[in-house]
Amino acid sequence: MLQIDDLTVRYRTPGGEIEALSSISVNVEKGATLALVGESGSGKSTVALAAMGLLPHEATIPAGRIAFDGNDIMTMPAEARRQLRGSRMALVFQDPFSVLNPSLRIGEQVGEGLVYHRDFSTERAFARAIELLDEVGIVNPEAVAKAYPHELSGGMRQRALIAGALASEPDLLILDEPTTALDVTIEAQILELLEQLRIRRGLTMLFISHNLGVVRRIADQVAVLYAGQIVEQGATEDILHRPVHPYAKGLLAAIPRLGEKKQRLAAIPGRLPDLRKPPVGCRFAGRCPFATPDSAAPQILRDLGDRKVRCTNAEHLRDTPWPHLGDGAPGEAFTAPVDSAPIVVAQKLSKSFTLSSGFSFKGWRPAATVKRIKPVDDISVEIAPGEVLGLVGESGSGKTTLGRTILRLVEPESGTIRIAGETVSDKPQRALEAMRRTAQIVFQNPDSSLNPRKTVGELLGRPIERFGLAPKADIPARVRSLLDLVRLPAHYADRYAHQMSGGEKQRVGIARALATEPRFIVCDEPVSALDVSVQAAIVNLLADLRDRLGVAYLFISHDISVVAHLADRVAVMHLGKIVEIGAADEIMNAPQHPYTIKLLSAVPRVDGPARQTGHLAAQPD
Amino acid sequence: MTAYITRRLLFVVLVLVAVSMLVFGITVLLPGNVAYLILGQFATPEQVHVLELKLGLTDPVWLQYWRWASGFLTGDLGVSTLMDRPIGPLLADAISRSLMLTGASFFLIVVIGLGLGIVAALRHGRPLDHGISIGTYLGIAAPEFFWAIIVIIVFAAWLGWLPSSGYEPISSGVGNWALHLIAPTITLVLGHLAHVSRLTRSSMIEVLESPYITAARAKGLPERVVVLHHALRNALLPTITVLALDFGRLMGGIVVVETVFAYPGLGRLIIFSIQNRDIPTLQASILVVAAIYALANLFADLLYARFNPKIRYGRNVG
Repeated sequence: MLQIDDLTVRYRTPGGEIEALSSISVNVEKGATLALVGESGSGKSTVALAAMGLLPHEATIPAGRIAFDGNDIMTMPAEARRQLRGSRMALVFQDPFSVLNPSLRIGEQVGEGLVYHRDFSTERAFARAIELLDEVGIVNPEAVAKAYPHELSGGMRQRALIAGALASEPDLLILDEPTTALDVTIEAQILELLEQLRIRRGLTMLFISHNLGVVRRIADQVAVLYAGQIVEQGATEDILHRPVHPYAKGLLAAIPRLGEKKQRLAAIPGRLPDLRKPPVGCRFAGRCPFATPDSAAPQILRDLGDRKVRCTNAEHLRDTPWPHLGDGAPGEAFTAPVDSAPIVVAQKLSKSFTLSSGFSFKGWRPAATVKRIKPVDDISVEIAPGEVLGLVGESGSGKTTLGRTILRLVEPESGTIRIAGETVSDKPQRALEAMRRTAQIVFQNPDSSLNPRKTVGELLGRPIERFGLAPKADIPARVRSLLDLVRLPAHYADRYAHQMSGGEKQRVGIARALATEPRFIVCDEPVSALDVSVQAAIVNLLADLRDRLGVAYLFISHDISVVAHLADRVAVMHLGKIVEIGAADEIMNAPQHPYTIKLLSAVPRVDGPARQTGHLAAQPD
Repeated sequence: MTAYITRRLLFVVLVLVAVSMLVFGITVLLPGNVAYLILGQFATPEQVHVLELKLGLTDPVWLQYWRWASGFLTGDLGVSTLMDRPIGPLLADAISRSLMLTGASFFLIVVIGLGLGIVAALRHGRPLDHGISIGTYLGIAAPEFFWAIIVIIVFAAWLGWLPSSGYEPISSGVGNWALHLIAPTITLVLGHLAHVSRLTRSSMIEVLESPYITAARAKGLPERVVVLHHALRNALLPTITVLALDFGRLMGGIVVVETVFAYPGLGRLIIFSIQNRDIPTLQASILVVAAIYALANLFADLLYARFNPKIRYGRNVG
């Protein structure tokens, strides 16, 4: 159905031309699902855009052929390509929050393809849109069709986008990270929907994702992309269970698994090669623990049994597992002093926000209307010194607000907070000096939480200076030791945020939190913005720091597997309340609360039973 | 929606009350005695006093304001001290003539400005885009009286196509009426194109790069639909706000343009009443300008709500 041969795509950038794809060949059979897997920068979205003929102006295609149903779409006139798009091939994008036009009704956006491809009248297209919304499991489709995007939840928007893609009965559906922006429970529903649609309509799908667990549920074939090349391709189960190419091995080893305990995660050191002049030999060699002198020679994608691998050493590596390099030796597990007083005690914390206030008319009388939510509703938690309390929940459950309320970054409405024996909930902000030193925070997005105009040295030196932790002359030395702590070389002190990768920036974020020698750190989704291999390194780092310094964490994440890996105890949050709290193993193996069970069963896994369809009926969000 | 409109209308009323106080306050506090002005420099103090009593100038300021403002509400705008005629009809004539001028100019600014902005956005970085930028910037960079003089030199003196000044009522023939409108309209349009076209261009470029436009293209919609239906709708939002402000600036522009072209509208009436210390006429004129300004903004807000569903009905919950 879709055949891509030797496709090379280059982008012109101010820094020079980069090669996003190098001689990619994939073939999606009619009715099959192929998954393209890779981390950011691997070029996987470029494949989707190229197939749709939607590459931006900066892109050039020096070589390659893309054939859809036997017709070369690259030699086709632009008008013919447009008529194919949205008609016989459709694309579902990653982020349902930005791909719907904010000022058009859902029904119009779902049905408009029909107006231009199938000569429907506007009214008929709208009516068909309602049927399609119904098909993708949206409750009350008439009302949703008349709604605007901002009135819908993320899951509903993604359903609407899928409905729009299905409108003109396409033969090929390309999905570019369709569930990445969604919560696990919603993700499970969308995957279920895709499976149903695939069976019902005999869809051919090209599924792009970085999440191997998701891929496993949906794809027959997997192609692993690294730095613009396919490094391994084969049947999904084969590759997920017995990866051959070192990168595929590393990628799989880096994923924290539910139920697997407490070793350090396997990280992939290093970073992507410079794609302006990609290495002639193996592009992964610089990060590969198995690299041999042969790796410097050009590597070809060759057959190895049922699969294809781009590695000269493939035969020898077939049964070798990814080594546990870790980020240093796994230290002695930290054991908290048995009867020590908790470092953080929060009792009966509550916080609510007013979403909108104004007035509306009740009959003829104007009346005040106030809409409030309560993201933190009567919550009590305790955290022991050196303990990691994991906090999981879906977006909007109040995790972040709770973390910030404990640090008084958000003012609580009621309740008491004690940190390191000091009651901090009733003090004015200016009297919180001691607490600000003892308790720190690491934010989710290192791009926006590091001041772009300051060097790393200035960022790390500032808290040391502010709290008078070292004489001015000693600050550079302290900065160096902080960098060493998070395993960054000392010369990074002169760098600015934009000169570092995402993982390096997050290390700086952690170093900044450590600068005041805190005893407690709120980690608010510290790895959510990072690739799996980088995520593993950061999680290992956090674990090491806990073991060496005895810092306690409140580790907030929507990713249960990461939380389960790192945390001693886990608290599950739902609608502003903690519905279940207990030892990590117990929560993972024997969850009690129905919401915890639902959350756990929705996690797509790379191991365990293959498909877990059926028990998650599509539900309204 | 009703609640939203009511709230906005209340706001407009408040603004107008505040403006009327300011206008009244300033003209009352200004040096110069109205009675002296009317009677001339040879008046005796007794005559002045009698006239002051008659005009109520010895009453407390708030009473004077009340008399003036309540007169406004009942349609009695007072009497022009210079022409000794009721201000109402005088002002109505001037407003209708000025609205013809500003209406035509505004229409052209919207149509040409949006058009240039869209074209520039679609061709951005290319010669046509730079040409449009330079042209519109020239328009805004030179003051209106400069353009007025150029227009007169080119179209009236050299080409002889247009009359150099004046106004003819429609009753003297539509052609003749329109001919007198063209020159001042060109002048006003030249000075105001840059705002609209530049803003439309930049918001259009931004919107065209947003994911939902790629999504619209992925649906295989014709480019015309992508640009005019999907992109323009969202790109218009900032332009609408600026258009309302531009309408206010047009009201300022007519003061210059009407003076240069001897066009008997609101602008000239204002200049005329300032030069002759015709304070009641000045007060009424300024209040009218303020009202037009406020209503234009109200209209823009409503239009904004029409195009941006997020602020409609106040039901936005983030």
